[in-house]
Amino acid sequence: MGEVWTWIISFLILITLVGLIVYQLMCLADLEFDYINPYDSASRINSVVLPESILQGSLCLFFLVTGHWFMALHGLPYLYYNFQLYLKKQHLIDVTEIFSLLDWEKKKRLFKLAYLILTLFLTLFWLIYSTLDDYEE
Amino acid sequence: MGTENQNYPNFPARPPPPSTSSSSPFASAPPPGVPPQSSGPQTVGFRPLSSQPTRPFTPSGPPMAPPVGAMRPMVSQIPGSRPPPPAYGGGPPGGVGGSFQRFPTPPPFPGSQNPPPSGPPPPTQTLAGHLSPPMSLRPQQPMGPPGGYVSPPGSGFQQSVPPVNPSYSGVGSGPPQPSFPGYPSNQGFQSASQGPVSSYPPQTGGFSQHPGQQNLHPGYAPPTTSSIQGLAEDFNSLSLSNIPGSLEPGLDPSSFPRPLDGDVEPKSFAEMYPMNCDSRYLRLTTSAIPNSQSLASRWHLPLGAVVCPLAEAPEGEEVPLVDFGSTGIIRCRRCRTYINPYVTFTDSGRKWRCNICAMLNDVPGEYFSHLDATGRRMDMDQRPELTKGSVEIIAPTEYMVRPPMPPTYFFLIDVSFSATKSGMLEVAAQTIKSCLDNLPGYPRTQIGFITYDSTIHFYNLKSSLSQPQMMVVSDLDDIYIPLPDDLLVNLSESRNVVEAFLDSLPLMFQDNGNVESAFGPALKAAYMIMNQLGGKLLILQNSLPSLGAGRLKLRGDDPRVYGTDKEYVLRVAEDNFYKQMAADCTKFQIGINVYAFSDKYTDIASLGTLAKYTGGQVYYYPGFQSSIQGDKLRHELARDLTRETAWESVMRIRCGKGIRCSSYHGNFMLRSTDLLALPAVDCDKAYAMQLALEETLLTTPTVYFQVALLYTASCGERRIRVHTAIAPVVTDLGEMYRQADTGSIVSVYARLAIEKTLSAKLDDARNAIQQKIVKALREYRNLHSVQHRLGSRLIYPESLKFLPLYGLAMCKSTPLHGGPADASLDERCGAGFTMMALPVKKLLKLLYPSLHRVDEWLLKPSVDHDDLKDVLRRLPLAAESLDSRGLYIYDDGFRLVLWFGRMLSPDIAKNLLGADFAAELSRVTLEEQENGMSKKLMRLIKKVRENDPSYHPMCFLVRQGEQPREGFLLLRNLIEDQMGGSTGYVDWMLQIHRQVQQNA
Repeated sequence: MGEVWTWIISFLILITLVGLIVYQLMCLADLEFDYINPYDSASRINSVVLPESILQGSLCLFFLVTGHWFMALHGLPYLYYNFQLYLKKQHLIDVTEIFSLLDWEKKKRLFKLAYLILTLFLTLFWLIYSTLDDYEE
Repeated sequence: MGTENQNYPNFPARPPPPSTSSSSPFASAPPPGVPPQSSGPQTVGFRPLSSQPTRPFTPSGPPMAPPVGAMRPMVSQIPGSRPPPPAYGGGPPGGVGGSFQRFPTPPPFPGSQNPPPSGPPPPTQTLAGHLSPPMSLRPQQPMGPPGGYVSPPGSGFQQSVPPVNPSYSGVGSGPPQPSFPGYPSNQGFQSASQGPVSSYPPQTGGFSQHPGQQNLHPGYAPPTTSSIQGLAEDFNSLSLSNIPGSLEPGLDPSSFPRPLDGDVEPKSFAEMYPMNCDSRYLRLTTSAIPNSQSLASRWHLPLGAVVCPLAEAPEGEEVPLVDFGSTGIIRCRRCRTYINPYVTFTDSGRKWRCNICAMLNDVPGEYFSHLDATGRRMDMDQRPELTKGSVEIIAPTEYMVRPPMPPTYFFLIDVSFSATKSGMLEVAAQTIKSCLDNLPGYPRTQIGFITYDSTIHFYNLKSSLSQPQMMVVSDLDDIYIPLPDDLLVNLSESRNVVEAFLDSLPLMFQDNGNVESAFGPALKAAYMIMNQLGGKLLILQNSLPSLGAGRLKLRGDDPRVYGTDKEYVLRVAEDNFYKQMAADCTKFQIGINVYAFSDKYTDIASLGTLAKYTGGQVYYYPGFQSSIQGDKLRHELARDLTRETAWESVMRIRCGKGIRCSSYHGNFMLRSTDLLALPAVDCDKAYAMQLALEETLLTTPTVYFQVALLYTASCGERRIRVHTAIAPVVTDLGEMYRQADTGSIVSVYARLAIEKTLSAKLDDARNAIQQKIVKALREYRNLHSVQHRLGSRLIYPESLKFLPLYGLAMCKSTPLHGGPADASLDERCGAGFTMMALPVKKLLKLLYPSLHRVDEWLLKPSVDHDDLKDVLRRLPLAAESLDSRGLYIYDDGFRLVLWFGRMLSPDIAKNLLGADFAAELSRVTLEEQENGMSKKLMRLIKKVRENDPSYHPMCFLVRQGEQPREGFLLLRNLIEDQMGGSTGYVDWMLQIHRQVQQNA
């Protein structure tokens, strides 16, 4: 039964992560269509950048602790990328250059989104798998 | 060279606009409007044809050309020779031929276009131009590729292949040429190109003036059959190749194009569309917009524009002010375009069609006017907005988010030890005081001051006080404002207090020994005081910020970083504090100008960020000493304070359907994708942008651009300055090249390259420039290689003849040149920030400064006209231009260098410098002496400074051979020379040529 709970928790964390990324993408899209100004857009996005990285880091850790090393490994590149950006101090959006970087920032987040959705499917698979397992027992 | 050059303008390379495509060789006939050559040396010479006698007969000749062509060739043989007539007289069809002699002139030679002097030339005649190889032949040294052909009988030429081509070793080797400029008359020539070489023994001249081509690469020896060139060609060419067997390039640098006339704007375009705004406001990189994305992608140069919305207009051409009153401003309902001369009225005047989006709008009742028979409005003449490309519209309250702000000047002044010691504080205080009467916007002008060292000093300037009150805040971590108001006061009310403050300021800190600088906290304090109003913040910073937020490290001192991949990091702001502050300031309409004075590293890269994102400027005075640079600071600070300034402005560029601005370059911050926020703009700022096609195909015959700057004038009126321009859409790449504007292209490139240095190595930025030029020329070559035998010539359109040289100049400009050791980091960054804001003309002047010889002029008694342009010729920027018996003046718009030749007559030096003429010149300042010569020179210098008041060029004196100053002040800036690892003009052209030919 513990297995199932592990997958349920990681599923919830992933949903939150997807939500954060989508939120950032929305801010960028709003900016592009001139619904909000760059100051608001940048501060909104920047306010969730760190939570996103931390949450993703803890998800990896969670997988590791619960012994799902494959899933932990799967999350490593993402974690490493975030960590690199943080070290270079490029994790936050630069409000002065936001328009010239707009395309890149969007692309970056779309990739993250795709990656998270892939992870989400894997998690779903494991969730169903372990549920069936439990059921059979 | 300078002289000849002037004559050239008459030969535009490009055909008048309507005439077209490059495909027909004949199109290049001289434009109708072009007068035949003007007098002067040129008249004598006509362009010689290239040395291929045989050409006309070659099969490949163009169908139409035959008659002319036939004669051409003959002529061409004589390149360069002035005397040839006899020999050729009998020449073939040469009636005409006789008239063509080679042009003595230099570079800019649009080959094909030179019409023969007599009468309007038939189109075909134009051809000869390029083809002629330029050659400078030294006497007796004929050269040419072996494959040569036989010279025509009777010509008396001998052909031979010179073993080595000594020819161009510089002026010195030339026979009796006095000085570089003088040489037009002797032309020697050597024709190397096209294989055959005819040598002309008698001729002696050291230089070949001919811009023709030379060809000298062994590899490229052109086939003799290249006769096709007899055709008119639409382009200019230069042949660059080596003579077989010789190592020394047999090139004639004097024939290379040089912008000795300064910036020449393309004229044809303005004539075609007289209702366009003037080119000082908007310059497109090409006045022919490509109709498809594929065409645009083949145009490797940037597609863009440089906008200088508030450029100073000469008297009589001021932008008219329009007030729509209660009607409201008339704009398109859909795309918000302002009404302009290109809208059309229909439905008997009740509707108007927007020229940008084609929307049909109603004409408001008050604005209605009947149309005449041709569809023109009857009241057209009374309405400047319908006749002028530039108008200024008074904006009603809908265009304000708050009442128009008063002009506000806030000073943030460093008063630490070095500021007082260098005299900066005193000069600044005096200058500000002297400008109080001239600050724009009386009586609404606001003013305030903060000074700082390790603490922050606020000044209560309340009008009821007799003396300012100083308040010191030493808590740097938690800045607060000691008084809610009275720190920023109305100047006219508090005038006495402000004056008292400025008088006492230098004295107050006279003995200040504090060397710390709490710059960051002081900036925050200034921001807190100003953010209610906005305005201009002038920062006078003398040392590296060392305390509180925004403290900076001496990172520029670390030699290990130089030359590595991480080097660019030194050129961007170190601390995010600066970007954040800049962004916040822009938000509250605060524009920042940074004045930096330190002789040590101050991290201009970080400080300049403040100016960059707030639409400001960086002034850098390395090692400021009031005795030396005091005047410069005085003028530039005064200019900054008193020039007409537009406050709290935003600028938007609207483009016709299918085209949009894809990126912007300059000092500003983007507020939305296409809206530039400019807290304070003035006439010295220009912005560049690149355009992109949104649709794969443009179907309209023309495209419109409208620049709108919404701002608050100093008088308190909200205004909109609107510049409208139209450009034709073309389907032909050749036309795009013909309509290109080098100045604008260079301006865009320079900005791109400087931006690139912020994320890459200097080398990469330089290579990028070279690659872009190569790509453009290669494409151009491909365009013509089908119809013309190009051989080994480097071809380029007339409109871009200076592009390679400016490219070289960019690579040698302060922000980009050399390696880390060649310029201090601060100088590089300071120059970079400056260049990002410069208008086109000013930038071109900085890239290719003017050099004049003045000693002869000074000795001449005439006093009446001392206009620099009329009297003095510009010389090429090469060491050969300098004669040790002369006195030269070098002017790049930022500084003047007076170069005293070693053998200059002592009288002149004595007259100009007075008693200390023999002293070391670094300690001498130029002052007016009591004699005519000195007065004349000072008048000249004054004139130069008045011509362009945006910066105050400081005058440096240097004597020949005085190292290292000579190298630093002048020699390094002789951009055509090869200096310590950098490329010279000749090598640069060879490199470009070689690369163009690869994969051509």
